[in-house]
Amino acid sequence: MNGEHMIIDCYCTIGDERETVQTSERLLQQMRASGVSRAVIAPQDREIAVRNRDGNDRMLSIASDHPAELVPACTANPWFGNDAVNEMQRSVRAGAKMLVLAPAVQGFMLSDDLTDDLLNEAGKIRLPVYVHTGPQSHSAPSQLALVAQKHQNTRFIMGHCGSTDHAWDMPSILHLKLPNLWFETSFVRPWVVTNYAAIAGDDRLIFGSSSPRNDLRMELTHLKKHWPVAEHPATYGQTLGDLLSEVIHDR
Amino acid sequence: MIVDCHTHWAQCFADRDGLDPAGWFRVPQQYGVTHAVMLPFTGLLHAGRIAQDNTDIAAVAKASHGRVLPFCTLNTWYRDEAISELTRCLDDLGCRGIKFHPWLQGQSVSTAVMDEICEVAADRGVPILFHDGTPPFSLPSQMAILAKRHPSVTIILGHCGMLEHWREAIEAMNSTENLWGCLCSPHPAAIRQLVRRCDASRLLWGSDYGFSFADMVGYRMEMLGAADISDELQNRLLAENPKRLFQL
Repeated sequence: MNGEHMIIDCYCTIGDERETVQTSERLLQQMRASGVSRAVIAPQDREIAVRNRDGNDRMLSIASDHPAELVPACTANPWFGNDAVNEMQRSVRAGAKMLVLAPAVQGFMLSDDLTDDLLNEAGKIRLPVYVHTGPQSHSAPSQLALVAQKHQNTRFIMGHCGSTDHAWDMPSILHLKLPNLWFETSFVRPWVVTNYAAIAGDDRLIFGSSSPRNDLRMELTHLKKHWPVAEHPATYGQTLGDLLSEVIHDR
Repeated sequence: MIVDCHTHWAQCFADRDGLDPAGWFRVPQQYGVTHAVMLPFTGLLHAGRIAQDNTDIAAVAKASHGRVLPFCTLNTWYRDEAISELTRCLDDLGCRGIKFHPWLQGQSVSTAVMDEICEVAADRGVPILFHDGTPPFSLPSQMAILAKRHPSVTIILGHCGMLEHWREAIEAMNSTENLWGCLCSPHPAAIRQLVRRCDASRLLWGSDYGFSFADMVGYRMEMLGAADISDELQNRLLAENPKRLFQL
């Protein structure tokens, strides 16, 4: 705990290949050293792209060993159609609390209606949908804003806020004040977060590190310098905690 | 010696300090930075202000007693003006390189004018640094193809592909001997891969400091530190490679 405020990291990966090599023990060690109480853990890229079930089961298993600290996310590639919906539902029934979509890794255009069934179902079970955004032409913040407007009953978390070059778009997207869209801070330049919060409010921002691509301690240290935990508990844990607590697992 | 190979001179510094670099240097100095490649900013945003921005940066460099290495920018949509401005920057202002931000400036790198600029750069022995990491005008592969057409020019990927295109930057640099990379923006895990898989003698480090008062130097320096690379290698990136490139 950081004082009286719980810090929850919205996005970490536990994996064994490429740039996401990290054991659960290593992540827990980093969390404890940084004052992070809980972290959402997501599958690695190959699992996000094609081996959805393997990745989801791995996250559920790891999280079950550390239920107080690790929160399992699941993934489902929209190209699998009904199978993707079924896999998401199965994972949520087993305890998953967030859906991860990575259009650049999974190979779809974010604004493609290919995602409709998956997103509609996520909305029905109040499952937050974390979407990686970036400079690719198929997962831009503006595209996610359109998707969030289309799927008003589904809750979306914009991973990375389009970092870095789509930072230019962010003020206009934040000004939309979409009630079902939140903004995750990993890779957002820390001094820019104050500008984003001034438009959207600190309860729309959600702290995430993207460990191990990023260094958890470093990311948190720099963000706290510009955006102190004690003044903004919503950003560091309250908002995400609320979203995760409202997932319906028994539908 | 530590050389920050990716900084800017923004209007906010000129408004506060005139053309005196002392105030600008306060932040880099805190981290031991001794020299900085200074790139335009106003000129990237407004083609009509390119000449003035180039002139101002040269004046800032002159006042820095060798600590600032000035780069100029050009508008490639107007060939005659671009070549004339380039000649002025190299002959009269003492610019040490050329900078383009293709998507921000709306300039493709695949034009005859860019080829002509590369020929001048080759002739004069100055590098060209590009913003990279963002489609449609700023992909590492686009810079690689330009570099292959002009093997005598040193072309620098200003961001090594940033957060998404760093794998492309690795392939681009490994296939193109005159393509260098500046570690400015990739995350620590990407930096580890870039350093491991690329020719480390063609890697630089930069912060992107200077387009606002924000302390980007400490942030990027820690990002490099988080990549867990050896002190010897860090010294090559921070000092030896830029020293060789710019003959410092």
